[in-house]
Order: sequence, then C-alpha cells, then structure tokens
Amino acid sequence: METALQTRVEVARSELIQLVSFKLEEEEYGVNVLKVREIIRMPTITRVPNTPHYIEGVINLRGKVIPIISMRKRFSLPEGETSSQTRIMVMDMDGELMGFVVDAVSEVIRISESEIQPPPAVVNSAVEQECLSGVINQTERLLFFLDLEKLISRDERQMFSGIL
Amino acid sequence: MAIECEDQELLEGFLTETTELLEKLDDDLVALEKAPADTELMNGIFRSIHTVKGASSFLGFELLVKVTHKTEDVLNRLRRSELAVTPEIMDVILEAVDLVKLLVSDIKGGDIVEREIDGTIAKLLPYLSDNAKEATVLRQPAPATPVETPAAEQQGTAAADPPPAPEPQAAPETTPAKGAPPPPPAKTPSPPAARDVDKKADDLSDNSTVRVDVKRLDDLMNQVGELVLERNRMMQLNTDFQGGGEDSAFGEEFSKLSKRISFVTSELQMQVLKMRMIPVEKVFKKFPRIVRNMARDLGKEVDLVVLGEETELDRSVVDEIGDPLIHLIRNAMDHGLETPDERTAAGKPRKGTLILSAAHEGNQIVISIKDDGKGIDPDRIARKAKEKGLVTDEQLAAMGQREILDLIFLPGFSTKEKATDLSGRGVGMDVVRTNIKKLNGIIDIKSELGQGSEFILKLPLTLAIIQSLLVEVEDETYSIPLAAVLETLRVEEREFHVIGGQEVLKLRNSVLPLMRLQKVFNVAGSGRARTACYVVVVGVAEKRVGLVVSRLLGQQEVAIKSLGKYLANLPGIAGSTILGDGRVTLIIDPAGLLENSDGSGGGRIAA
Repeated sequence: METALQTRVEVARSELIQLVSFKLEEEEYGVNVLKVREIIRMPTITRVPNTPHYIEGVINLRGKVIPIISMRKRFSLPEGETSSQTRIMVMDMDGELMGFVVDAVSEVIRISESEIQPPPAVVNSAVEQECLSGVINQTERLLFFLDLEKLISRDERQMFSGIL
Repeated sequence: MAIECEDQELLEGFLTETTELLEKLDDDLVALEKAPADTELMNGIFRSIHTVKGASSFLGFELLVKVTHKTEDVLNRLRRSELAVTPEIMDVILEAVDLVKLLVSDIKGGDIVEREIDGTIAKLLPYLSDNAKEATVLRQPAPATPVETPAAEQQGTAAADPPPAPEPQAAPETTPAKGAPPPPPAKTPSPPAARDVDKKADDLSDNSTVRVDVKRLDDLMNQVGELVLERNRMMQLNTDFQGGGEDSAFGEEFSKLSKRISFVTSELQMQVLKMRMIPVEKVFKKFPRIVRNMARDLGKEVDLVVLGEETELDRSVVDEIGDPLIHLIRNAMDHGLETPDERTAAGKPRKGTLILSAAHEGNQIVISIKDDGKGIDPDRIARKAKEKGLVTDEQLAAMGQREILDLIFLPGFSTKEKATDLSGRGVGMDVVRTNIKKLNGIIDIKSELGQGSEFILKLPLTLAIIQSLLVEVEDETYSIPLAAVLETLRVEEREFHVIGGQEVLKLRNSVLPLMRLQKVFNVAGSGRARTACYVVVVGVAEKRVGLVVSRLLGQQEVAIKSLGKYLANLPGIAGSTILGDGRVTLIIDPAGLLENSDGSGGGRIAA
C-alpha cells in the first residue's frame, strides 16, 4: 500500500515539462512554456511616465496595449545594448499579457520535473529569491527556473502601497 | 419565499412590462396633479395600474394584487370625478405606487419578502367610502404611519375641480378578477413584516439587457454588409496586385478603397454607438416627483420645465448623472428659489421656475439646471468658506469671481447654519463634483444676484471612443480628451507669471494656473530652444488649468485602450490609444493631473 503510493508520486514527479530558455547577462533562465504566448522583436516602445524604472513602456501588440518590463533593469543588471538578438517574451500573467525584454531566447527544452532541484539558500544569481522556483542542473549547463507571476504580483502590491 | 414560476419567460415579460409602466406612472401622476382635468392622462394612469393588477393576479402575486386593486379603485373614483385631485390623495397614491415598485423589485430579486401592506391600504380606504370628499377625509385609521399634514397653500391650486353630486356607489370590495385571466394556483405570502421602503424601488430598471430599435439593427446589418463588400474588394485588389498588376492603377484603386472603408467604418461606429445610447429621459422622469415632494416640504411653489429629454447619451453616462442632478436640483430648490412671499416682495411671480434642459453640442451633451431664484452671492460664499477654514484671506484675495463660486464644491462647504435632512452637510456639491469628474465632464456656474443661477454640465457622449487633441511634449506624443479642452492658446513663455511658486497665465479676467507636462511626465528635453509654446486650457468639473505643451498636432477620434492591471491607476494617465501608424499614445487624465497637483502627490515616485 505504502509503496504503491510512493511509485505514483514518483511518476507524477517525473512528468515532462517544457521550458523556454532565455539569456540574461550570460546566465540562462527558463520559464514554463505554457505561460509564453509569443516571442517578438523589439517594436517601438512608448514610454509611460511616473512608473518604476524597469517598466520600459507600452507597445501595440495587434491592437492590444501591453506593458513591457526590462528584465535587466528589473534585476538590477547593467544596462545592455539592444542587439539583433534582443527579444520580448509576451507572457500571460494571470490573464493579462505582459512583455519581458531579454537578451536572447535560446530554445524550448524538455525536462522531467524531477530534474528541477529546489533553489539553494544562497544563489549566485542576480534574480531575487522569491521568484526563483528551482535550479536545473544538466551536465553542460545550469538553468534557473523562474516564476514570473510571483515577481509581478509582488511588484503590483508594492506599487499600490506606494513603496516603489 | 422563492418564486416558483413555471414559465420563466412569462415572468420576465411581466417584469419588463410592469417596470416600464411604473416608471412612467410617477411622471404621469405628478403631471395629473398639475392638470387634474386631463381625462386622457387620467385614463392612461388608470390603464397602467389596471394592467399591472391584471398581470399580477394572473401570475398569482397576491400582495401586488391587493395594493394595485385598492389604488385602482381610488383612481377609478377620481376618474369618475367622485373625488377631486388633491395633494393629499396624490401623496397616498404615490405612496401606493412606491409600494408596488417595492413589491415588483422583490419579485425581480427572485424572493418574495413578506411585506406589510396594510398601512398603505388603510390610507387608501378612506377615499373609497361613499361620503369621502377631499376635504372631509378623517384621520386615517393607520396608526403606524402618520399621514402628511395637508399643505394649506397647495390646496387652492390643486383642488380647483369640485366633486359633483355624490353618486351612491357600492363598496368596491369586488374580487379582482374582472377582465383578467383566471389566476393560477397562487402562493400566498403572508403580510406582516418590517416595512423598509428603501432605495430598492429606484433600482427597478434593468441594466443588463438593451432594447434596440429594429430599424437600428437593420441599419447595422446594412453597414456590415457594405463592410463585407469592401473587404471582398480589398481581397480582389490584393490578388490582382500579387498577379503583377500595374502599380499606378493599384495605387489609385487602393486610395479609393481606403476612403470607402474609412467611410463605412465610421458609419458602423456611429451605429454601434447609437445602440448604446438611451434618452436622458430615463433620468429626467424621476425629477417631477422629486421636485413636487421637495416643494411641498419646503413650502415653495415651483414650476419644473423639462426640455430636451429626448437627447440621447451613452448608458454608462446616464447611469452616472442621476445623483449629481438630484443634488443640483435640491440645491436649486433649497438655496436658489425663494419662498412665495419672498418672491412677491422681490417683485417676482410667486411661483419659481426651474428649467432642466439637455442638448447636444458637438460631441458633448450639455445639461443645465437653471432657476430664477436669488442667485449665488459671492461675498457670502467667501465669508462662509473662510469661517469654515476652507480658505485663507490670501487665497481669497487672489481669486476671481469664478473661483469664489467654485468654492461651493469644496467638501464640507455649506451656507446653512444648521444641517437639515435636505441639505447643509456640505456633501451634495462634492458628490456632484466627484461624479462629473469621473465622467471627464465640466461644470460651469452662471449666477446673477437676484436673477437666478444656472449650473451647466458638459459631458462626453460616450466613454469608449473619444475625440482627442494630440499634442507633442518635446518628442513625445500625448492625447488630451477633447471634452475637457476649453481652448488652446499660443503664448510666449515670457507672458507667464509666478504667484506663490505657481506658474500662472493671465487669461482675460481670470488667473489660470499652469502645469508643464514636460515636468509632470519627466519628459527628456529635446534640446531645441523654443520661446513660444502652447497652452491647452482644460476643465475638470469646476476647475481650470492650463497644460503647457510644445506643439499641437491636431484632433483625432481615438478608441480608449486600457493599460492593464499592472499599470492601472497611474496618476494623470487615463489610458492609451493606438494611432494610425501603430504607435501607442497615452491619454491624459486631466482630473488625475489636477488631483495630483493639489499637493497630495502621487503614491509613486519615478525612480
């Protein structure tokens, strides 16, 4: 009885998930592919005044106006030049579309959930602990698995309470 | 008790019809009081009540039947001139109609509350006894709710129609089913319960469904048909072009096509907009009743003239203007109009006039509430505002006549020494201001001492698509709702003055505070030196401010797009829109800008 339950949990843990991996300042990150709507090149961005500095502004995505957040600025990385590799990942955040500017989008990878390890207590990464939901350690590379919804909802709370 | 009606459709039909009848009834009853001899009106009212009674007995709503039946009986006697129309009878009938509304709203809510109806019925009964004459009505046997004391001065105007010879009549205790279909098995709600005649009766009207004129629907279908034609044309054009057609011919065809598409789209837009429009009458028809009751309470004589009630505007706007209008009307009745004696002494007709009008003006609707009362005394306003500590002497000295009148919108301002249940708490005008601000509207006050005052509300027709003024601030483009724009000026920067750290511009005989959008929005300077700039004078409710911009780009109709949850509540930004070239432009929210400049500061500081 006990062991049967154990196996079932194992099976569930090893379910495959797909991640979109992207680069930021030479580090690699991944987000759940189901959250990513599309990946676009940099369009003209309209600046929105009186917003936190990491909000680049808003863009027109086929008739919808969506906010754009610079991941570099959000994680206090040095500002980089916009290159031909720069992309905006349009993601669905709790029903609202939002764009994140990243240095480059690399690929979609498949991993089994068991490969995701809990994040170490002290991470050598620019990303805040809170939105880091795991680390994926494959032979030749290290990937940080992010939960951006957590990041956004925290930002929102702070904006409304006027801390930022 | 829940309503178990097998035929939901029947019930819905009943509710729609009854709601419509009742809405009209208030208005008609007040009109009847003014013109008691109007038999057609009288018959109309009688028919309405009769219809409600018939339908409710068919559906088995017994409480409703009881109330409507007695009301109908009283109306019947009025109709046969066995009774004369007096304010007292009208009071009771209006009360009964209120009760009917309440009962209907219960049914609409899906739950029959057991309400106490005997009090109201008991008030109706005395008018049904044979010897009941308007003057000889005894104290009603309803102990719980005392009847209003008859206002003596109104008696003379309304009771002009003396009752004819008493015609013996059987006590009208006949069963309700006359002419009405036989009642189905009824569920009886037993009467006694707390009688809370709350605001519920007001909310009878339904906002979730729209009735659209069939013709409008047909027009819409036509427009869509045309659009489809144009689309086919466009696809054909594309095929031709892909197949290697001539460039010059394509250019010409394409420009024709875009003209037609633009025409069809704007027509379509108008049609859809029109479907959302409802006549302002929906709000206006509440007012005769309110004015009548207030006039009786205040002992004033008022003639309410309603003009342009057929003017149409967006549903969202209609829903919002009810409250501010009620406050403005109250204000005019309470503060503006004098008592009959005061009026006679001032050489004016005894009866005051209150004009409520609505009209279209360009892309706005203008609603005005005008009285011929004593007007607003600026000195008195200034004195009161100072007494209440709302302004300082210095501030007063810097104010023009207009600015002083605007003080009445401050929360907490009141000229009344004592708060009554009608006014004096200093809340009403603040409500007006808040609601109008929410709608991006403008308030103007005109007042002449001793001659009367007028409050003019200018509201946008719709909130989804607006006319806007595109402006450039250094290198960024912003859009200002045209409804808020009063005028634009080209000025040299050296014409600006500074008063108390605030940049101002002298504009005719008022002092206009200025706000530099470049500073407010932290726009990076373009480095171009400019001596002349443009000032866009915007109005928010009663306030005026001049927005300083670099260039005016022109006027455009834009559809408002929300910035989403993440960027909601940005100070000074109402939303965004997409321009013809695909760029996003932010729409300025003048109300938000002004609020922020009031010193409270935005919640957020730009990093």
